[in-house]
Parts: sequence; C-alpha cells; structure tokens
Amino acid sequence: MENREKQSPWEEFLAIRGMRQVLTVTVALAILCVAFSFLSPSFHSGRNVGNLLRQVAPIFIIGIGQTYVLITGNIDLSIGSVVGMSCMISATLMTKGVNPWIAMLLTIIVCIGVGILNGALVAKWKLPPFIATMGTMTIARGVAQIVNNNYNTDAVGDAAQTFRNVFYYGKILGLYNTIWIAVVLFLVFDFLLSKTRSGRYIYAVGSNIEASKLSGVNTARSITIAYVVSAFCACVVGLITSAAAGMGTMDAGNMYELYAVAAAVIGGVSTLGGQGILIGTVIGASIWGVLQNGLQFAGAPVAIRNIVIGTIVVISVLLDVVIRTGKPRKKTKE
Amino acid sequence: MGEYIVELNHINKSFPGVRALDDASFNLKSGEVLALVGENGAGKSTLMKILSGAYMRDDGEMKILDQVIEDLTPKKAQKLGVAIIDQELNMCSHLSVAENIFLGHEKTHSGVLSNKEMNREAKAILDRLNIDIDPATIVGDLATSKQQMVEIAKALSINAKILIMDEPTSSLTSNEIDDLFIIIRKLKVEGCGIVYISHRLEELQHIADRVIIMRDGRCIVSMNFEDTNTSEIISNMVGHEIKEEFPRVTCKQGKKIFEVKNLNAGKMVRNINFDLYEGEIVGIAGLMGAGRTETTRAIFGADPKESGKIFVDGKKVIINGSIDAIRAGIVLVPEDRRRDGLCIRLTVQDNIALPNWDLLCNKIGVVDKKKEKAMTDKAVSNLRVKLTNAGTNVGTLSGGNQQKVVVAKWLARNSRVVIFDEPTRGIDVAAKVEIYNIMNKLKQQGIGVLFVSSEMPEVMGISDRILVMCDGKITGELATEEATQDQILQCATKFDSKFEQAVNI
Repeated sequence: MENREKQSPWEEFLAIRGMRQVLTVTVALAILCVAFSFLSPSFHSGRNVGNLLRQVAPIFIIGIGQTYVLITGNIDLSIGSVVGMSCMISATLMTKGVNPWIAMLLTIIVCIGVGILNGALVAKWKLPPFIATMGTMTIARGVAQIVNNNYNTDAVGDAAQTFRNVFYYGKILGLYNTIWIAVVLFLVFDFLLSKTRSGRYIYAVGSNIEASKLSGVNTARSITIAYVVSAFCACVVGLITSAAAGMGTMDAGNMYELYAVAAAVIGGVSTLGGQGILIGTVIGASIWGVLQNGLQFAGAPVAIRNIVIGTIVVISVLLDVVIRTGKPRKKTKE
Repeated sequence: MGEYIVELNHINKSFPGVRALDDASFNLKSGEVLALVGENGAGKSTLMKILSGAYMRDDGEMKILDQVIEDLTPKKAQKLGVAIIDQELNMCSHLSVAENIFLGHEKTHSGVLSNKEMNREAKAILDRLNIDIDPATIVGDLATSKQQMVEIAKALSINAKILIMDEPTSSLTSNEIDDLFIIIRKLKVEGCGIVYISHRLEELQHIADRVIIMRDGRCIVSMNFEDTNTSEIISNMVGHEIKEEFPRVTCKQGKKIFEVKNLNAGKMVRNINFDLYEGEIVGIAGLMGAGRTETTRAIFGADPKESGKIFVDGKKVIINGSIDAIRAGIVLVPEDRRRDGLCIRLTVQDNIALPNWDLLCNKIGVVDKKKEKAMTDKAVSNLRVKLTNAGTNVGTLSGGNQQKVVVAKWLARNSRVVIFDEPTRGIDVAAKVEIYNIMNKLKQQGIGVLFVSSEMPEVMGISDRILVMCDGKITGELATEEATQDQILQCATKFDSKFEQAVNI
C-alpha cells in the first residue's frame, strides 16, 4: 500500500497493546532487584529467589483473573473470599476422607458457580460490579466459615500428601510446582486472551460495550467468561493455600482481591477497561513481591512496606496517565 | 427603553469547518411571543446559545435591555434576565422543587440554608403562574410537563425578562400544552419577551405573535404571524439553492432485496412500511427527533420492537438482536460513531475485525492472524483510510477516517443491506464525497442502501427515492426527480394534531 510505511520489528513490538507500559515497569523491576541486592546480599541468593517466586505466584494467578475482569471494564472484589472458600471446602472434604482429587474437582465446580453468579449479576441484571461482587465477596466468606462450622480444619492427613506436593512442595526442574502452575495458567489464559475470538471480545466489551453490542458481540457472555476465569484462578490459589498449610483456614485470601488489582494496575491494565496485557500483570505481581520481600530483607517494618507499596500503586497509575496524555488526567471524554 | 429588549446585529459565528451564523440579525420586543423557525442546522440553537451566553460570538453587536454587551457568560446572562429552557430538561431529579428553583442562588441565614423561606418563595412564584405543585415535592416524581413548569418557575426566580424555550411541547400531551400556553400568555402580559423555537408550525398559530425564519445562518425574514401562513413559512425555510455537487450514478432497478412491514417500536417507530430494491439508494429525511434513528435501530435489532416483519431477498428473517441482523446480512453504520460505532481505545485492525471474527477464526475460535491482516489491509486500502499502520488507535484518526473505519468493518463482510445513519455528520467535504462514492459503489454492486440524513441537499443529491418521517411515522414517499424541498418539509412537519380546536384567550 502506497500510504503505509514499512515497520521495523521493534516498532511492531512496541505497537502491541500496552507494551510500552510493560517495558517501563520491567525496567523499574530490574532497578528494584539491583537495588535490593546491594541493600542485602542474601536477597539474590538462589534460595530466596525460589521462595520469592513461590510467594509471588498466588498473587500473579489471582491477578490473571482480575486482569480479565478489569479489561472488560468491571472489577471483581469476590476473589479474595473465593480463595478462602476454595481453601476451606477442599480441606474440609479431605479431612472427611474424600479423595483429594475429587475434593479438588468439587471445589472448582463450586467456585466457578460464584463466577457465573457474578457474571449474571453484572452482565444480565446490570448491577454495578463494585456492589455485586462486594455482595458475593461477603457471601463467599460466609460459605468459607460455615463449611467446617466456623472452625479452621484439622490437618488434611497423609492421604493428601500427593495433593500437597503437586500444588506446593514438589519441584520440577528445580522450580517449585506452584511456579509451574502459574506458568501454565499464564500460557493458557494469555493464549485465550490474545489469540482467540473470545479474548478479542473481552477487549472490545471493555472499550465500548455499545459498539460491541451493535457489532453482534454477546456482551453478557464475554463478561461472564471474564468472571468465571477470575473465580477459577482464585480457586486454584485457594487449593495452593490449603496444600501449603496442610489445612483449611477461614481467612485465607483476605485482601487478595485488592492485591490482584494492584498487580494488574502496576502492570498497565486500565481500570477503565479495554487496555492491558497479561505479561504486565506478571511484572506487576513481581514488583509487588520484590518490594515485600526486599523491604523485609532490608529490615523495613510492615508499616513502612505498606506505605511504600501503596505509593507505588498510585505512582504507576499516575505515570501511565502522564505517559499517555502528557499531563495529569482532567476529564477524559472517551 | 427602545422598542426592543434584545437586539442582535450582524452576528457571525464559525465552528471548525462550518459557518453557523452568517451576519444574523435578530430582535425581540417585550410582551411578545416570537417564533423562531428554520431547518435543522439553520442556526437557531447557535443564535440562542449566544444570547444566553453559552457560546461567544465571533463578531457583531449585542444589546440586551438597552445595554451594550461585550462578553456574555451564562452567569452574566442570568443576571441580565435571560433564561433558556432546553428541550432536555436540566433538573436535579433527586432534589425538591424549591431546591431546584433556588439552585445556585440559595437563600441563607448566616450561612445556613433557610428551607422555609425558599419553600415560601417558591410557592409564591408557582402561585403567580397558577401552577399547582407543592414546592417540597421531589422533581423526579413529577410528570415531564410539571418539570417543565418548574423550569419556568426557576427562570422567573431570577426575574427573567427574556425567556427562550426550545421545542417545549415535544413531550407534552394536548392538555399539558394548553396549561403551558396559559402560562406563556400570562408571562407575556407581565412583559416578558419569549422566544419559542419549534418545528410544529401548526402549533405556533395558537401562541406566536411574530415569526423569524432562519436559513443558512441568517435571519431571512420577520413577519407578523397574522399576516402569514404555513406554506409561506415553509417556502422561506427552504429557499436555499443546492450548491454542492453530488456524485450520482444511475443503475437499473433490480429485484426487491429488503422489505419492512408494520414495524412498531415505542413512540418513535409507528407502523413503518417500506421496501428497497437492488440498484437504488433510499434516503430517509426528516427533522430532528422524527424517529429515523429509532427506526434504523429497531430494524437492526439494537432496540426491541413490538411488532413487524422484515424480509431479506423475499425470505422472512427474525431479528431479536444485532447478531441476528448481521447474520441476515443487514448492517448499520450508526449515527454517533464514537458512542456506538467504534472501540475508541482499540486499534483500527481490532475495530475492523470486531464483527467479523466468525470469518477470521477456525472452528475452536483461534484467530487466524494472516486472514485478519489480509482483511484489514484490504478494507483499509479499499476505503483509502489514511494511516501509517493498522495498529494505530482509532481514537487518533480524524473524524472522516474514523467514519471510514466504521464503514470498513461492515463492508469487510458480504452484506445485503447497509443502513447509514447520518454518515457525513461532522466530517470534511472531501471525506463526505468519499462516503458518497462508497454508497454509490454498493448501489452498483446490487447491495441495498438505506440512508438517513438531516441534510436535505444531501438526501436529494444521493438518493433515488426519499422517505420522509415525522413523529415516528412515514409521512411521505417521493421519487427524487420529482421531489422539491418544499414537499419534503411539508411532509416532515405533518405532526399529529394535538389540538381539537384553537385555544385562545
């Protein structure tokens, strides 16, 4: 075509949706890693890196789901509670002597039910997503409490040892299985998001739901898919948690929904919808983990860690706005 | 004081690409109801927005109540006593009547709101107008007509001497119109000057003393209402010549492609019947709010319909949602491209591919990148959208190019009927011609083209047949060769009469 310039591969790479922000935060991540290595030499020891990755993995997995929902222009506050629910249901079933794999399957089914409920509330009955998922958040936490009569469970027992190894303690090629689970989920859901029709619809719905509807997109279905992915990811995190502790704890996953938002937002996912890529959430979650871990190694108290991380979240969103528009946002008309 | 309370002389106002007001001169006496009429885009609203301070004039002289006014802001206009009541009511529906009336100039006692005093004064104003509304009522609970009266009361609370009303009766029933007219007459007796903008010419004879007709940004003529009649007004409204050249191709009319029978969808789509043949473009003309957009949306399945049958190529199709319409080969290029047509933050490629994933994916829904690229490249080059690459965000394109992307996404699939709703609004002349060429090309390919436009020259220049709508109904069908602007406007103002008899004092 005469009026189209040839692009270099680098330009093409940069043109990928949200790639610039991802590169920016990747540089930030690298700087953080170097800085913490200087502050405390044990930070970059092989053992710590392995632990660090395993620590980050749940935040990342739950971030995948939240990213899906954020791209549709909605939010899912229920996932923290779904983690708790998944943890309690799976552990309770196992202590009652149910085969761990069947327990896992049942847990996944229940959690996906929450995702479908969220999708129906938001997409079909048009509830504001904040309110709808705040409701299911409370309900799911209640379910987590009621499954074992308001007690944490006992130890899941020897029958569940394989389950615990698969989800947490085992290693493949020197990396903890938790990390491998995160990698597999990333590959699957990244493929779904960037290479399939359903994935493209997720972006379209978040960018302009009215135009999508008029283009023949089943918008309710796309939003529900996002919530189901979100609930499924939270469910996996719940299973990891019960495998790690060897028991069910009722307040597992507390606040995770917000950690997930933070990871996604640091990685360049727009809360207004239509923007963001999963690799960004990986980096975002890593920054989160490196800060937690690094500040801990550097001897910073919890209070300081919270203040720093909160500040980083705000700054990264502000940066995104400034990079995109050249000035702080006044009122976008989009 | 002179004879006039408002005098606007030689006002000019331009917007990028459009000359909205061209040496317009306007005046208003105290104690008169002045009807301001003109076609869409004649400049009525712009002129009134200048008078109420919403727009700044480029040049010209402005005198309000014998004061020469330089820069006018909405706040200053209010102080001078100019109040405007828009077609869309601007009320805080969760607040009470009194709170709305005094919004922005609340009564306070040492900083504390005095609800008692505001309720009392609101009551006094409402009584003066013989409006029976309790000032403590929540505005949202009132009927539209009552809300409108509250707006009038609000205008009077700032002692408005000049009241501008834009299509005040469009959502009122005949009884409510009677009530409104009684109030207008009362205000007139009290010495207010009232500017009454309306397309409903028949209604004006019950209320107007004088009429000013606008055309192409100018005030063409001022007449006493008694000395004129509807057909004289209409011929003055349309008097402009068609200057632009429209590319026209002639095709042989082929077989019937598309038919709509007894379509009903709410108040604005009432018993619509028409058909569409191969090799023709059918234009739908009408004034703002005639129900044209609603009709296209109902056909396309974007809004639910109450009844009606749709046939494509002689076969009945059932359309419950947009997806059904698309599958049946009917597509819509919507009126508001930023709201309904484009995902502004996605790329050109994403937007073009959006309705076409069924063609670009394999059975399990995985995207075929090669096909996607081929489709977008072809679409972009066919329509000559100017961009560096298809990965550009649509938000960064010009209006004309954005419009071409909206068209492109539909032309990438084989459709039978393409509906364009105001396709040339807000785009430059060169891009307009390109859109016309696209429509002509579709016509030559035997694809049915339905085309809604408020620009009369455009409708007459491009279509082969013209349907005219008014008040949700088709009020006329004309062959373009025989149609005149007068005829179209006659049809476009055929409102259902809301009056059984003339109401006079």
